[in-house]
Amino acid sequence: MRSDAILSIRNLLFSYGTREVLSIPELDVRAGETLALVGPNGSGKTTLLKLLNDLIRPSSGSIRFEGRPAAGDPGLRARSVYVHQSPFPLAGTVYRNVAYGLRVRRVPEPEIRRRTEGALELLGLSGFARRDAKRLSGGETQRVALARALVLEPEVLFLDEPTAQTDRASGDRIRTVLADIAARGGTTIVFSSHDGAFAEALADRAAFLEEGRLLRIEAGRARRPAPKSHAPEFPA
Amino acid sequence: MNPFLGALELILSGDREIFLIAGTTLRFSFWSTAFSTLPGLALGILLANHRFPGRRAAAAVVSSLTALPTVVIGLAVYSLISRSGPLGRLGWLFAPPGVVLGQTLLALPIVVSLVYTGLSKLDARFTETLVTLGAGRLRRLASTLFEAKYVLASALLNAFGRVTGEVGVSMMLGGNIRWYTRTMTTTIALDTSKGEFERALSLGILLLTISLAINALVHAAVKHEE
Repeated sequence: MRSDAILSIRNLLFSYGTREVLSIPELDVRAGETLALVGPNGSGKTTLLKLLNDLIRPSSGSIRFEGRPAAGDPGLRARSVYVHQSPFPLAGTVYRNVAYGLRVRRVPEPEIRRRTEGALELLGLSGFARRDAKRLSGGETQRVALARALVLEPEVLFLDEPTAQTDRASGDRIRTVLADIAARGGTTIVFSSHDGAFAEALADRAAFLEEGRLLRIEAGRARRPAPKSHAPEFPA
Repeated sequence: MNPFLGALELILSGDREIFLIAGTTLRFSFWSTAFSTLPGLALGILLANHRFPGRRAAAAVVSSLTALPTVVIGLAVYSLISRSGPLGRLGWLFAPPGVVLGQTLLALPIVVSLVYTGLSKLDARFTETLVTLGAGRLRRLASTLFEAKYVLASALLNAFGRVTGEVGVSMMLGGNIRWYTRTMTTTIALDTSKGEFERALSLGILLLTISLAINALVHAAVKHEE
């Protein structure tokens, strides 16, 4: 395992019944890097993201978070968050959705308000706080889900096709926010994308998957400056 | 006089006994639904959210119990609370607690089955979202209840509607005692057999009104959920 790996996979196998869905002998995710998972539909990108976030468990092999088994690790749960390709809005308002994770963490109410409003503003959702989260467009729902994740100031962000369900404006906003977070460093981002140009521009490295196999890993754009903080900078 | 007009006149005149009978019916239905709520929710959530051997068989049994004839429940509870039964000392036979106990057993599988069905339909992304946002077991349970609140309301209203309209349990365990355990359905049965159609019809109209109101609420809940 590399010394700078925050997540490491060894001999990972994931199957549905007898059908093998994903098999990765070795993969390290480095702390602070942005790793793109690239591959066609059914290549195992979503499965890999969910495995890394401990939403599903491997059939065999190991995933370690900072050297510890990722399964059931409270540190991984507290410091990482996963955003679905087609996010599920919780019942209630947009504000309730974005504040949910903070309430779970028993953050004081004034801080919840400050951070929630900041996350909403960051994603261009300031006027949406009281809107019913179930009645938003795909792009708006995706932005709410990203705000719901970013408000937690995660150290590791797992994003499944973050711009796939979006209209152009929402997609642009999400790309800008993610590029900004990646440029500042400090946050480890693992994301899947069909958008080759976006993946190329955002990622430090790209892992190419096909039919559940890791084909190769390529370097992305140039290395960034040393990380300052993992927390996204919300508007004041 | 036309029996229908006579029935309407009875209702509009505010006949004391008719409204007392309607009140007794609603009181029994309220308490039996209330008593079935907590175990019904718990069992429905258990069936929907936990994997254990025999889960599908248990769900099938619960589903079958929703169609259990009321007289069978009446008979089973009668054997429990009759003077010679294990709970005979409580004196619940031909008294409101006996009716409420029987109706609770009638409502319970309905609540369990509808809660189970409703929660089973919840998107897998819902639970994953709660987990990834850090929600623990209790928080997830509370969030699930909030997410499925219209499904739960629909389950309770369905159970309430079922017990309001049943006759077997009320007749066998309540004994149709005037001013005490007489309900709308047992009165309708009695009055019809005596040829007192106006009173039977007036209670029928009230029962139908209550059923329609409950159904309207159920539909509103389901529509809101969709």
